[in-house]
Amino acid sequence: MKSKLVLLVEDNPDDVKLTMKAFERSRLANQMEVVSDGVEAIDFLFGTGKYSGRDLSIMPEVILLDLKMPRMDGLEVLRRIRSDERTRLLPVVVLTSSLEDKDRVESYRLGTNSYVRKPVDFHQFVEAVQTLGLYWMVLNEPA
Amino acid sequence: MSSSSKPLTSEPLVVDAGSSSNATVNLLEDITREKARLEETQRAVLDILEDSAREKERLEETHRALLNILEDSAEEKGMAESTQRAMLNLLEDFDVERSKAEAANRELRASFESLRMAKEATEAANREIEAFSYSVSHDLRAPLRSVAGFSQLLLADYSGKLDAEGRDYLVRIAAAAARMGDLIDDLLKLSRLSRATMERGRVNLTDIARRILERLRSAQPERSVEAAAAPDIIVNGDERLLMIVLENLLGNAWKFTQHRDTARIEFGVEPGGEEVVCFVRDNGAGFDMTYAGKLFQPFQRMHKSDEFPGTGIGLATVKRIVERHGGRVWIEGTIDHGTTAYFAIPRPAEEKK
Repeated sequence: MKSKLVLLVEDNPDDVKLTMKAFERSRLANQMEVVSDGVEAIDFLFGTGKYSGRDLSIMPEVILLDLKMPRMDGLEVLRRIRSDERTRLLPVVVLTSSLEDKDRVESYRLGTNSYVRKPVDFHQFVEAVQTLGLYWMVLNEPA
Repeated sequence: MSSSSKPLTSEPLVVDAGSSSNATVNLLEDITREKARLEETQRAVLDILEDSAREKERLEETHRALLNILEDSAEEKGMAESTQRAMLNLLEDFDVERSKAEAANRELRASFESLRMAKEATEAANREIEAFSYSVSHDLRAPLRSVAGFSQLLLADYSGKLDAEGRDYLVRIAAAAARMGDLIDDLLKLSRLSRATMERGRVNLTDIARRILERLRSAQPERSVEAAAAPDIIVNGDERLLMIVLENLLGNAWKFTQHRDTARIEFGVEPGGEEVVCFVRDNGAGFDMTYAGKLFQPFQRMHKSDEFPGTGIGLATVKRIVERHGGRVWIEGTIDHGTTAYFAIPRPAEEKK
């Protein structure tokens, strides 16, 4: 099976590590690209900044997007993804600690495909990642 | 005066014997004429005097008339002055009224201003609470996830390298982190409850209670529980929030009767005029009434968590919701003989007798 690309946008290194561990345990063959804030995420998606010259024919199967990040937050990243023809149809899953109504509602308003709250419990987190991976990388047929 | 008479000095008086009688007659004649002339002069003078008296009278009359006119005009003037005074008084009254109105206006504006400021302060406080709970929700959970996650990873991947005691420590760390996660979530729920807007309507608590009891029963079908809800307990309130009240109270009753062979749970209503007094009664573990006051404070528990699990937020939640309805809560219990939790919701004004 050809490995599919997941873009993880996450500024907290512990959460990056835990998410990667959870993906490992979910036994989904995939390649993970990790960027540590919104600016880097945009650079990766559009081949700018430190990602200039990147082969833009390779786009992530799904973007896992944290909301609270330095420089550019997740909602702004989402807004930019949805307003550019090249990235408009990419599946985005907001993966966050926040359960605040305003974050959830705003994420859906800006066009997220899913909103998942990171559980504190690691086993639940692995389960969540497994479900996400199974759905977006296996079941879902992208546009 | 006759024109024929001669001036007194024109003929010298000659007195002689022969002509003396003639002369005397002439003299008398002269005197008589003189007298007549005098009288005539006197009359003329009198006439003149009379005329001047009349003039004087006329003058006096004119003068009086003038005085009258002056008096009249003075009266007019007085009247004009009093009219003017009256008008001034009116204007003054207007001024007083106007400044009264202005003062009232100023007062009103000041009240509006202080209301506006109070509203702003409330809004600012709400924004602060929101920022706080956002921070609790996001920033406090992130490190907790690391503690829980890595201790669980350590347990899963490295347990062979640890002895039993080391593994026990890790289990404790993971459990504590998970528990703290629950506490944070409950705290957030409680803060959301206080901020949620109320949508009041007619709420049938009996229906809600029966649904909750069914759900509890299907989650633990092995338990023997006699549960009853009195019919048609109806209050005015927010259905979603009142459901949380019943979920907590019935959930507590369900939890604290778990060691009974046959648990009994009753949802009922007591007679009340101004308010609907509801209760949830059970025959469970009960509690020491000495601590009844503490029960409604967040995170206060009467039992050890290995005996009855929970974070101790349930009754605090109930209290907050009932108080937002303008009602009150209280609780009665005896150790090992069960608990009765009461909540009273005010009736709407039109229903009160």
